[in-house]
Amino acid sequence: MNVPSNLETASAIAVLRASYPQKAIRLQFGETMLALAAEEPDFVVLTADLMYATGIEAFGAQFPSRLFNLGIAEQNMAGVAAGLALCGKLPIVSGYAAFTTLRAVEQARADAAYNGVKVIFAAQSAGLSYGVGGPTHQTFEDVAIMRAIPNMTVLVPSDAAEVDACLRAALVADIPGPIYIRLGRGPERCWSSPGADFAIGKAMPLREGTDIAIFANGSMVVEALVAADFLRGAGIGARVLNLPSVKPFDTLAVQQAARAVSAILVVEEHSVIGGLGSAVLECLAETASPPVRRIGVADIFPPIGPAHELRAHLGLCAENIVAQAFELLELAGPGTAAAAG
Amino acid sequence: MGRPSATLNDLAEMARINRRDVARMFMAAGNGHFGSCYSCTEIVTALYFALMRVDAARPDWPDRDRFILGKGHAAPTLYSALIRRGFMPEDWMDEFEVKVGARLMTHPSRRYQPGVDTSQGALGHGLSIGVGMALAGKIDARDYAVYVLMGDAEIHEGSVWEAAMSAAKFRLGNLTAIIDRNGFCVDGRVDDVMPVEPLADKWQAFGWDVTRLDGHDLTALLTALAPRRDATKGRPRMIIADTVKGKGVSFMEDVRSWHSDAISAEQYARVMEELGEGAS
Repeated sequence: MNVPSNLETASAIAVLRASYPQKAIRLQFGETMLALAAEEPDFVVLTADLMYATGIEAFGAQFPSRLFNLGIAEQNMAGVAAGLALCGKLPIVSGYAAFTTLRAVEQARADAAYNGVKVIFAAQSAGLSYGVGGPTHQTFEDVAIMRAIPNMTVLVPSDAAEVDACLRAALVADIPGPIYIRLGRGPERCWSSPGADFAIGKAMPLREGTDIAIFANGSMVVEALVAADFLRGAGIGARVLNLPSVKPFDTLAVQQAARAVSAILVVEEHSVIGGLGSAVLECLAETASPPVRRIGVADIFPPIGPAHELRAHLGLCAENIVAQAFELLELAGPGTAAAAG
Repeated sequence: MGRPSATLNDLAEMARINRRDVARMFMAAGNGHFGSCYSCTEIVTALYFALMRVDAARPDWPDRDRFILGKGHAAPTLYSALIRRGFMPEDWMDEFEVKVGARLMTHPSRRYQPGVDTSQGALGHGLSIGVGMALAGKIDARDYAVYVLMGDAEIHEGSVWEAAMSAAKFRLGNLTAIIDRNGFCVDGRVDDVMPVEPLADKWQAFGWDVTRLDGHDLTALLTALAPRRDATKGRPRMIIADTVKGKGVSFMEDVRSWHSDAISAEQYARVMEELGEGAS
């Protein structure tokens, strides 16, 4: 195994990353809502004075009778959504992740999940995507919270095309309960192909490899791909598994991937408590597993900062994935890539 | 199907039976929210036995009128009405809270109880759900009416006022909310714990039509709660019902502790004696 110098690593990773074009998630959400409105006449959209901020002004202009602005009142919005769903409507709640999951969580739980009605919570600005907003608008507990609610589906798509596919899948899914869709905000690197299928409950293998597995979702998928492609150049086979469906969780795929490698990294733009890392550990704790290391937001209120720089500052980046991979593989001992390479 | 034609005497009798049923359920459990149930007996009776369009054979009938018990802890009053309207079997009353898997519990559950339009329990949720239901009726041009019954301390919850604003904004003429103004919450007089008056002024200021009446006066209730089925006309309607906590049982009336209390066999016998012989 050749551990490249830091400078070489940084430069090579930057080149790999730059090969992926960017598109804003908010822009994609607005485009998808507009396209779906014409295709699917049955859904309505609710927002809490976030029509512009969640990118649905074009939807509102073309379909004014299907957009309901509840003002800055997320609890009422979630309850109204449940009431609509109880009367056969399909509401999509377009808000910010922080307020959807922290302020209106009781309505999401009691009114939507317990009643068993389908409400789609499209929660933008999640993670550190609104990093400059500071910890009131950064959202790193939402997956943990929503995952713990019975009857709640939790989806974390990554780039623009996957956001589009995820929304389409959620809209047609025959699920008697709410669906939480965790969304970013600004530009994210695009790795996936437009029009690809999105299967709720399924993991998506993106790279094969037998040395280390990198499990990721959301904005960290592209970082995992960049890291894996860099590692390949250094002689390390890194398997990448995209896990947008945190609940239901593809336990089988995770366990199969775990059996094929010597070490596992889980990378997510979320607290290390309760999110994807926890879901992976929960499912691997019941079976033989190689060592698992989680990369996420430590149990802290992060500093403010632009999304991509803030993620990098906190180690949510390909550079850190690569560094952690080298460390883990050395720790994993003889018979691993470190020895073989 | 539809609403039965009921005379005032019939309704008074159904109210009496409802109070006996409630006592029967609470006796099965050994305790219960007597005060909270007995203050809204006439309101629920008027709705289910004279006003609402419901059909026990079709609990999910899309055109049925909806009822939301925001003050979910008064569920036995609703259970009695649903049982006497044929939505649920009478013997479910005797398993109220008594075993794992009991169909009837402290708070209404859509999951286990046919005829319950939404699960409730956490206070301050009902009006928002009612706004959603009324809005759905308006979008789909259906002519059902939506009723939400709240406690007078339930409106301490801020989300109630969020919902109040939205009902006025969307001009939900098919929505009726009722406040059961029995004056007590768990810790004492509502207006000591957190004052709510002037109630009528507040709801008027929020854009609602407001009527204040005696919540035990069936004649007044029948008029004020008459279904509003045209969602395109008028404003949301608030009925402030002045009531007596524990109404109908002498030793429970206007007594704080009977918001929720244990009941002895001797007290139960007195309750049933005061409520008269009958169905339960």
